[in-house]
Amino acid sequence: MEMREVISTGNDLAAEAAVDAGCMFFGGYPITPSSEVMHTISDLLPEVGGVAIQMEDEIAGIAAAAGAGMAGVRTMTATSGPGVSLKAENLGLAQMAEVPLVLVNVMRGGPSTGLPTRVAQGDVRQARNPSHGDYRSITLCAGNLAECYTETVRAFNLADRFMQPVIVLLDETIGHMHGKAVIPTVEEVKKGIVPRKTFTGAPEDYRPYGVGADEPAVLNPMFQGYRYHFTGLHHDAKGFPTEEIETCRKLIQRLEDKVMMHTDEIELNEEFMCDDLEENDILIIAYGSVSLAAKEAIRHLRADGIKAGLFRPITLWPSPAKRIKHFTDKVKNVLCVELNIRQYTEEVERVSSRLDIQGLYKVNGRAISPYEIVNKVKEMI
Amino acid sequence: MARTLMRFTGVGGQGVLLAGEIFAAAKIKEGGNGLKTATYTSQVRGGPTVVDITLDDEEIFYPYANDGEIDFMLSVAQTSYDLFKNGVTEGGTIVVEPNLVHPTDEDRKKWNIVEIPIITIAKDEIGNVITQSVIALAIANTFMKALDDELLRGVMLSKVPAKVHDVNNKAYDLGKKYALEAMAS
Repeated sequence: MEMREVISTGNDLAAEAAVDAGCMFFGGYPITPSSEVMHTISDLLPEVGGVAIQMEDEIAGIAAAAGAGMAGVRTMTATSGPGVSLKAENLGLAQMAEVPLVLVNVMRGGPSTGLPTRVAQGDVRQARNPSHGDYRSITLCAGNLAECYTETVRAFNLADRFMQPVIVLLDETIGHMHGKAVIPTVEEVKKGIVPRKTFTGAPEDYRPYGVGADEPAVLNPMFQGYRYHFTGLHHDAKGFPTEEIETCRKLIQRLEDKVMMHTDEIELNEEFMCDDLEENDILIIAYGSVSLAAKEAIRHLRADGIKAGLFRPITLWPSPAKRIKHFTDKVKNVLCVELNIRQYTEEVERVSSRLDIQGLYKVNGRAISPYEIVNKVKEMI
Repeated sequence: MARTLMRFTGVGGQGVLLAGEIFAAAKIKEGGNGLKTATYTSQVRGGPTVVDITLDDEEIFYPYANDGEIDFMLSVAQTSYDLFKNGVTEGGTIVVEPNLVHPTDEDRKKWNIVEIPIITIAKDEIGNVITQSVIALAIANTFMKALDDELLRGVMLSKVPAKVHDVNNKAYDLGKKYALEAMAS
């Protein structure tokens, strides 16, 4: 793949990635530490004929973005945890009506307004189920500057493939840090775009939600003669509300199966210095900016003769369960490091069937330093 | 080169962020790695801000400076100085604006405290207070010998509008001159 070197911040890279991936609409409302995503995309979108609009609040921001998704274009909103709380209702609507959109959440301290300018990873559990009801969130998490770009691009492709919202989690550290990133060229990104499926038969035969049991809806762009109905209610093949027992069951089961039967297309992780890990070595599990401290810690630990490696989920939801289990079956000492209290550790416990996973957590708005991880590991052995 | 860790501290609105970006960009241009992180509070102006700059030939993962490992700090506000001074390694250099920052006698034993009236220079000798970040950039680079002066100056000029190139060139020269004088005394 042809690559290029850029100097930028995580938030700017997310905005640039969206435009390069063909995003034509942004609706949002500024909130620290995500505001630069909106600032930058507001500069970029008009240059390519797209539209960026600051709405009256976060709810209207995602409503506008979802509307653009319904109309048929690639669309995005960006916010931080408190904004996701407000957007939850419309995220649920987009899950039910199968509207593709990308939500970038640059995490800060919570709950509520929390610590606006400080780093946290408190929205990991929220990202799994921001709204009520049964559906499967697709949540990606950037662990370095380059991934703020590549994961945003991947989010757009997954949103169109699975016809649902895709969340990209950044955190304050990753969003604001400024440095070098090696990312694919725009041409490479364009080559990788697979537009959402459309129905090309006679309009009277069009059944947007009448698809296979593990397939996403086929929503044609609006205003091209293919009429259908959007609703948050349980609906039939044409999108109209129904209470018919089997139709209701099949619809919700399909929302589950369209994701969970195709997790191999979604899962992604990094295994850093894991190749030589044996039973009595150390496996660290971390994601987002914390993984940067973990990598630095592993350098120090290895220099001290302690064999440690990092498993880093890039797709957080659905979790890369098989790979996690592969390592948690093999390595005895497992340490989850998170800027929250056990939000992903509980997933690691679930997929590993182990209740002896160790944890290092911090929730005061400050980063976890490599030395804190080194000290914790030394306590464990 | 070994890793260079620098920290610029002030209060919100003083414009210390740009110097960090310039350092990181110049190091990357040289073929190495540079990272800048900034920490600030929810106060728009007046809250303590800190900018950490990491330069290395090797890949940098963790973007913040580890406390106790910082080689050089520059501070233009007392609150920020007090909050962040302990990140500097013993014997490390701390440049302060003497009109705004007053180190204790103990501090002077622990660190190489250098007084340069950065804001006065910017206001009186250049006539533009905003140029303090470029003065700071030149001072830091003179003490740390981190990067080639002309490379750093070039990156700095690429980040400011052409109409203010002259004042920023002057700011860079003055920063370097004051730093060299301080080092000689």
